[in-house]
Amino acid sequence: MDERVYDLIFICRPATPEDEVNKIVTTLEHSVAEHGGKIEKTERWGTRRLAYRVAKHREGFFVYMVVKSTQGDLIKELERRLKVSDPVIKYQTIRLDEELKRQQKLSKHREKRASRRPRKQAPGAPPVPPQPQQVPAAAAE
Amino acid sequence: MPDQPVPPAAPPSAPETPARSEGHGHGGGGGGGRRPEGGHSGGGSGPRREGGGPGGPGGGPGGPRRGGKRQYFRKKKVCRFCVDHVDFIDYKKVDMLQPFVQERGKILPRRMTGTCSRHQRWLGEAIKRARNIALLPFATEL
Repeated sequence: MDERVYDLIFICRPATPEDEVNKIVTTLEHSVAEHGGKIEKTERWGTRRLAYRVAKHREGFFVYMVVKSTQGDLIKELERRLKVSDPVIKYQTIRLDEELKRQQKLSKHREKRASRRPRKQAPGAPPVPPQPQQVPAAAAE
Repeated sequence: MPDQPVPPAAPPSAPETPARSEGHGHGGGGGGGRRPEGGHSGGGSGPRREGGGPGGPGGGPGGPRRGGKRQYFRKKKVCRFCVDHVDFIDYKKVDMLQPFVQERGKILPRRMTGTCSRHQRWLGEAIKRARNIALLPFATEL
């Protein structure tokens, strides 16, 4: 089974003390480890202004995590924990592995295309068909 | 007065305009003959205006439109993402999404920003995700 990559962002109340946030993060880490996943990245973006009022707050403490797992149930568990915890006012999980795969495919295609066709940099360069005649052209440059 | 590509119909339509006041304040002499065909010399220049109507907006790239923005010629816009070879529009990067969102929070249409259809789709998805996590507003009061 392929490994799924998830983006998890949650927002805590703005006045939450640091150790509370750490406690939540640790809880999530434990859950992830139990289900056999792993956390790639944890970022704390700090207190940011919210675009609209959430739970009567105009600011929030953002935490961003990247979670990798082969099981989809893990996310349900994580979201359940977030929903239950008091300081968290909003959370969002996004599955990103398909998008990342597509992005890699596109960039690979682009690189292949770029390497096949010689770059027409000199105006006097004759149009070269895609063959290994690029070497003399590169040497001439 | 903005001109229509129907020269023979223009002079007779000009005195008619105040008589046929329909509340369309934009004075352009009948874009496509949408006015109800009424009375006197309307019958004569009506069909002629009808013939000129489809010719106008169909000919130029964004011909004069009634009501909305009046753009006679829209300069060619390139998709900013295609130029930069962007393969993934990240919803977390608000400053990348901000130019494509109006002040009121609405997503700008493709014809305003010049984005290609593929990137417009990705952009819309990213903006909606950002809205969900309160990075972008759903709607703002002006």
